[in-house]
Amino acid sequence: MGIDFTSGFIILDGAMGTVLQQRGLPPGGQPELLNLTEPALLAGIYREYIQAGSQVVYANTFGANALKLKRTGHSVGEIITAAVRIAKEAAGSDAQVALDVGPLGELLEPMGTLTFERAYDLFREMMEAGAAAGADLIAIETMTDLYEAKAALLAAKEATSLPVLVTMSFDESGRTFTGCTVPSMARTLEGLGADAIGLNCSLGPDLLAPLLKELCENTRLPVVAKPNAGLPDPVDGHYDMGPEEFAQALLPCVEGGVTILGGCCGTSPDYIRALVQALAGRTPAQRHYDDVSFVCTPVCPTRLDGVRVIGERINPTGKKRFQQALLENDLDYILDVAIQQEDAGADILDVNVGFPGVNEAEMLPRVVKKLQSVISLPLQLDSSDPDALEAGLRVYNGKAAVNSVNGEAEVLERVLPIVKKYGAAVVGLTLDKTGVPQTTGERVAIARRIMDAAAAHGIPRADLWIDCLTLTVSAQQEQARETLEAVRIVRHEMGLQTVLGVSNISFGLPNRPLITQTFLTQAMTVGLTLPIINPNQREMMDAVFAFRLLSCEDKECRAYVARFAGQSPAVQTAPAGSGALTLDDAIIRGLKTDAGRLAREALDKEDELALVEQHLIPALDKVGEGYEAGTLLLPQLLSAAGAAQSVFEVIRASIAEKGGTPVKKGRIVMATVQGDIHDIGKNIVKTVLENYGYEVIDLGKDVPPETVLQTVQEQDIRLVGLSALMTTTLPSMEKTIQVLHTLPEPPVTFVGGAVVTPEYAKKMGADYYSKDARQSVEIARKVLG
Amino acid sequence: MKLNIDEALRYAGVRGEPTEALRRQAEAVAEELTAAVRPRYTYRIFELQRRADGFYLSGADILLPGESAGRMLAECDRAALLACTLGAKFDAMLRTEQARDMAQALLLDACGSAWVEAGCDEAERELKARLPGIYLTDRFSPGYGDLPLALQPAVCAVLDTQRRLGLCVTESLLMNPGKSVTAVIGLADRPQAARIRGCACCAMRERCTLRKGGKHCGN
Repeated sequence: MGIDFTSGFIILDGAMGTVLQQRGLPPGGQPELLNLTEPALLAGIYREYIQAGSQVVYANTFGANALKLKRTGHSVGEIITAAVRIAKEAAGSDAQVALDVGPLGELLEPMGTLTFERAYDLFREMMEAGAAAGADLIAIETMTDLYEAKAALLAAKEATSLPVLVTMSFDESGRTFTGCTVPSMARTLEGLGADAIGLNCSLGPDLLAPLLKELCENTRLPVVAKPNAGLPDPVDGHYDMGPEEFAQALLPCVEGGVTILGGCCGTSPDYIRALVQALAGRTPAQRHYDDVSFVCTPVCPTRLDGVRVIGERINPTGKKRFQQALLENDLDYILDVAIQQEDAGADILDVNVGFPGVNEAEMLPRVVKKLQSVISLPLQLDSSDPDALEAGLRVYNGKAAVNSVNGEAEVLERVLPIVKKYGAAVVGLTLDKTGVPQTTGERVAIARRIMDAAAAHGIPRADLWIDCLTLTVSAQQEQARETLEAVRIVRHEMGLQTVLGVSNISFGLPNRPLITQTFLTQAMTVGLTLPIINPNQREMMDAVFAFRLLSCEDKECRAYVARFAGQSPAVQTAPAGSGALTLDDAIIRGLKTDAGRLAREALDKEDELALVEQHLIPALDKVGEGYEAGTLLLPQLLSAAGAAQSVFEVIRASIAEKGGTPVKKGRIVMATVQGDIHDIGKNIVKTVLENYGYEVIDLGKDVPPETVLQTVQEQDIRLVGLSALMTTTLPSMEKTIQVLHTLPEPPVTFVGGAVVTPEYAKKMGADYYSKDARQSVEIARKVLG
Repeated sequence: MKLNIDEALRYAGVRGEPTEALRRQAEAVAEELTAAVRPRYTYRIFELQRRADGFYLSGADILLPGESAGRMLAECDRAALLACTLGAKFDAMLRTEQARDMAQALLLDACGSAWVEAGCDEAERELKARLPGIYLTDRFSPGYGDLPLALQPAVCAVLDTQRRLGLCVTESLLMNPGKSVTAVIGLADRPQAARIRGCACCAMRERCTLRKGGKHCGN
């Protein structure tokens, strides 16, 4: 009989590690090996917990993953099989056995170098072994990274049919170590199909109580609490709560709605016994779920309880520079577009990378990962390719939105299961095979059809967003009214979120911003909640801020006042009276905005190449000389590089518009070597080299020698720059150079980084030692011209 | 807890007196950082046993071999193991800032180094307050002198840093999140001479250009 999480209380066990330490095992070892050496000790502990009242015991498999077992000489299957068997024999028919799955012990990308896919594989190996060994359920616990929890949960769901509990560890601030919030955790994991979720470890029940209350409001699932026995004494490691105090402190959590309870660090069978006694005669509390529409990343929970702006700029349609960036794999450009929208006040970013010649199913997940390494906003994945959507949703960290489905049955059948599986929200366009309907009634009818289909697939109403479609008013003038009326009905009669791309409305008319802004205001007034706009257009965001104020969403007018108070000239303008600022000066002084503006002006008179050769590079050289002479410092050198970057962006956009070939002086591969994860030094060198017109193929950090070799071969590279920061990673720098020297015509190599010295460089066989970014430019000039 | 701006500016490669504008820029970065991120730390105290092969931390099953540990701990009968980190949030801030503005990112990185040091200082103050009548040695880290960097995983395991701080050690012995420090602090019942200053307990130890040139910022 499987366990029913949804009725009554369920008592889990307490700590394993604590009890083992009480019995003389030193901290810090690998307790999973005890499954092979001390089965009787473990069985005894399980029986004590079961006698104390535990209905579920966690097998001793917390760290039984291939990463942590690597040096032990034992396989995951061997340890897990033994562990589950011991627990099952001890439990008999008195309790259920959970496969216990803790964090892998290494941080996932982008914090670390462990990829999401690799983490999934490592977890899957555990899940398969656990299911095969006969575990009754899976308990994923002590997670602090929602991304890692997602990898584990997906693995559990895809590899087994067992129920899955997922608990994460939060601190008093209400965040995990990686910044994840309680609502983000709750709604992401519920969407992904967990059977129960909760909190374990890190704090005692008293401090967890408010977080558990918040959790209960953010999920319909049964909620688990497995707290520590208070806080540890830093001097001797003992926890400060006794069994009785622990059990009493858990009661407020129970009153908040928790029904699955146990203990973590510092607890023992006595704590479980006290807990069972404290619960006697109690019944589970009533729960109150906050049924709000929601999307998120771990750090950015976004409740859709007002107007939320979806930024539309990550889209190649009609944008030559963007198309070029996509075809060249220039994800940094896409990142810039994202950052600008975040800074401009967007709440959600639409991400569309569909363009002929681009493999969307491969590109979308890459772009999602890249964006999520830097941007905290939730994303709306925009594609007509279901495979691309699935690939993107799979690697997305948090709860995303999907753009879009429509009223066509085939589309609904193909896309809605993916939306459901990954717990996303979805945009439904009110059109179908017959095209865009001309009347309000037809639009609403399609919306209802989509709503029924979503419900049939188990997608909550709060996760369905309807787009009633904007048509160009100069072509079909009466359609604007139909769209607005449909928005009103969908929002106020059907109670759904409404999406609308508004820019289309003004196509072909003079003074477009006026029409678009007015239409946006009209639409928000009748119930548009999710306008898709260009947040960089001031008029559009002005309208949103004004609307939020007038609709009382912007309490005490704070956001509005903050936007329009301090409206002073931009910070980076030059002081008046110093004569006209030249482009060269702007670069040298690191004035980004001015440099970009002056570059655009200069392009009226000069061509792109002249701008690079006669202004950009001489200015950068001047800065470089100042840096070498010690009159300018590294931060100033980098400010100049930032200004140069904005000039370069103007030049690239101008060339892309004309369809010309980009200014590129030669390609350089750069990498932070294998094992090394600190890459700011390499990134500084990259920034400066790019501003001299070199194309840098940035392989990132922790790069295996083979990857460098492969890139050099495939792309016929003549110059390679390698960086290392730690003495422990110098050998992989040397190895990379050796591997490159196996080529018939090895590329020129230059090396740098904190621990590298000219002597080391020579010994390793590098062609050049580069002490800083400035010297790298000299090397590139010598080698590539 | 106070972030030392002069220290941060030195980490950012500033020699001598910075311009007023640069100092203000660094102060603004420091202010944003200290408002957003608090250093977290954890420590535990272990008995020291003198053995022929070094100092053995019983209860942690860790051996501190070599001359450096021998010199630092000569008069101690206990030692604290300390780990301090700015956590993943700092790394996320730094990634974002690198995409936005490299000059700001450089200053943020430098301020982060100074801030994690401030966290270690705070932990030491707390330790002193807990142990009246006990004197602390300077703190020193795996990698200092001949104390092996290879101790890093064991130190982190015994302090349970992944659970308590979200701090992991990679296979190549790098700590992750990036702005993290582990250290040993000897505990003695008589005042301890300052045996080292600066470098040994400095987060920039591994990548300091001064140190590479055989100098340090104290001279």
